[in-house]
Amino acid sequence: MNATITRLAARSLFGRRRGVLLVVLPFLLVALSMAVALLTEATSAVDPVTAVFGLGLVLPLVALLVSTGVIGPEIEDGSIVYLLATPVSRLSVAVSKQVVASVVTVVLGAGAVLTSALVLAPGSPGQALALGLGAVVAGLAYCGLFVALSALLRHGTVAGLIYVLVFEGLLASWLSGLRYLSVGSFGRRVAGALTDDLDLVVRDMSLVYGVVAALVFTVGGALVTAHRLRSFELRGDD
Amino acid sequence: MSSSPERRAVIHDIGYRTYDGPRLGTGSVATSLFTTGLLNAYGFGRSAKAKVLPLVVLAIMLVPAVILVAIMVVVGLGEGFIDYSTYATSLFLIISIFVAAQAPVLFSRDLRSGAIVLYLARPLSAAGFALVRWASLAVAILMFVMLPVLVLYAGALAAEADVSEQTGDLLVATAGIALLSAVLATLAGLVSALTLRRGLAVGAVVIALLVSTGFVAAVQSIAVVEGNEAVAVWAGLLSPFTLVDGVQSGLLGGTSSYPAAPETGVMAAVYLLTALAVIGTGLALLVRHYHRQGKR
Repeated sequence: MNATITRLAARSLFGRRRGVLLVVLPFLLVALSMAVALLTEATSAVDPVTAVFGLGLVLPLVALLVSTGVIGPEIEDGSIVYLLATPVSRLSVAVSKQVVASVVTVVLGAGAVLTSALVLAPGSPGQALALGLGAVVAGLAYCGLFVALSALLRHGTVAGLIYVLVFEGLLASWLSGLRYLSVGSFGRRVAGALTDDLDLVVRDMSLVYGVVAALVFTVGGALVTAHRLRSFELRGDD
Repeated sequence: MSSSPERRAVIHDIGYRTYDGPRLGTGSVATSLFTTGLLNAYGFGRSAKAKVLPLVVLAIMLVPAVILVAIMVVVGLGEGFIDYSTYATSLFLIISIFVAAQAPVLFSRDLRSGAIVLYLARPLSAAGFALVRWASLAVAILMFVMLPVLVLYAGALAAEADVSEQTGDLLVATAGIALLSAVLATLAGLVSALTLRRGLAVGAVVIALLVSTGFVAAVQSIAVVEGNEAVAVWAGLLSPFTLVDGVQSGLLGGTSSYPAAPETGVMAAVYLLTALAVIGTGLALLVRHYHRQGKR
């Protein structure tokens, strides 16, 4: 961890008007929840709004935007060499950047999921906490994966999108074995273990596997990023 | 320095031949910019790495169509069992990825690198440049979505399905896909022209396309469960995919793939007008943005 790198990463996320884009998604989720809560009385809306839209789409997209934002542009324009030329270990650079991404994802993404569940079902704070905690676990794992992806690939954002939309969204719904590699299902498993009110289909995956796998994505992501930065070479544009 | 006529600078004729071939006008500039843009959207004329993504996504887009045709031929079905007009909406994820990844190629790169100044110094005006870029993206999306539908059509004809019925369905689907391409190109082009950093532009386009669709899906499923059809139909106006799906099913007689589609002619007309208004407003904003870039 390095305080200066952390501060710079946070500034690159929220500098100028870029922060607006990050706030749009959580805002949409909370606004939708409020609208639904005003229009209907049923608490059954927690499943389509908080679990499917929030946990399944808003959280991964926030994590993706934040994670690629802390490292992608610097690699793209090559200015990361100035950072790598400083006597700070590459692991420390990777961890500092990932920590910023994780904190922002937890506050904005998981915070929005928690708020949405509270707004929709004010009577069951336990369920909201379970969803929020699931979102925290999934958010941390997503950040590890996406930071590593954007350090490894030029098209980190697109690769992350394909992971979220095609792999988790399309393929995992047909080939249920893929849930063992889907970060979203780890989050749902953790949330499902803490509450009985929701039917978060992850079938028979064990809770221990879910937590350990999420941890592997989180820590592994930082290690892969550090390794990538250790063997970094400059490339031209396109 | 005296400026007597004898001392005036002269460009000497040292025998270079002047160009006396045909001079192509602004129209030709526009055509070649359009062709280059269309090819660039699929990575042609760019590095090998740039070709990977669009072609892989195109292959993914074709897989279901090829599988369906294979099933149709093996089982010996006399008619296509998928409606052409639902193909685009069922694969909206793949389409969104293609649009999000390739719109910044056409709209962000010139603006970010500053090459836009050189383009606008040519006879083609800022408005013309913006519209040609938009046309390249729209046609690229049209081809992307039409190709698998044509594969299905060819498969159905090869399996000796009723030609006139299939052709009618194909025409409905084509109209829908053309409208979808125009709407998607407008939204994606505008967003990526305003967001210059590539990673950020991709994210912003995805928010505009996918999150709006997820938002509408959530609202519609709740509204339908609650029995409030009107809210569900009005919500459909908020996402490009449900918008075009509504026009297709309401005015052209296609099949809707969403829980709520406009049932009255008036509502379907509202859908069509909204789609046209989105295209019109988006293009106006895009032209204005490029106009400002030219003045800097």
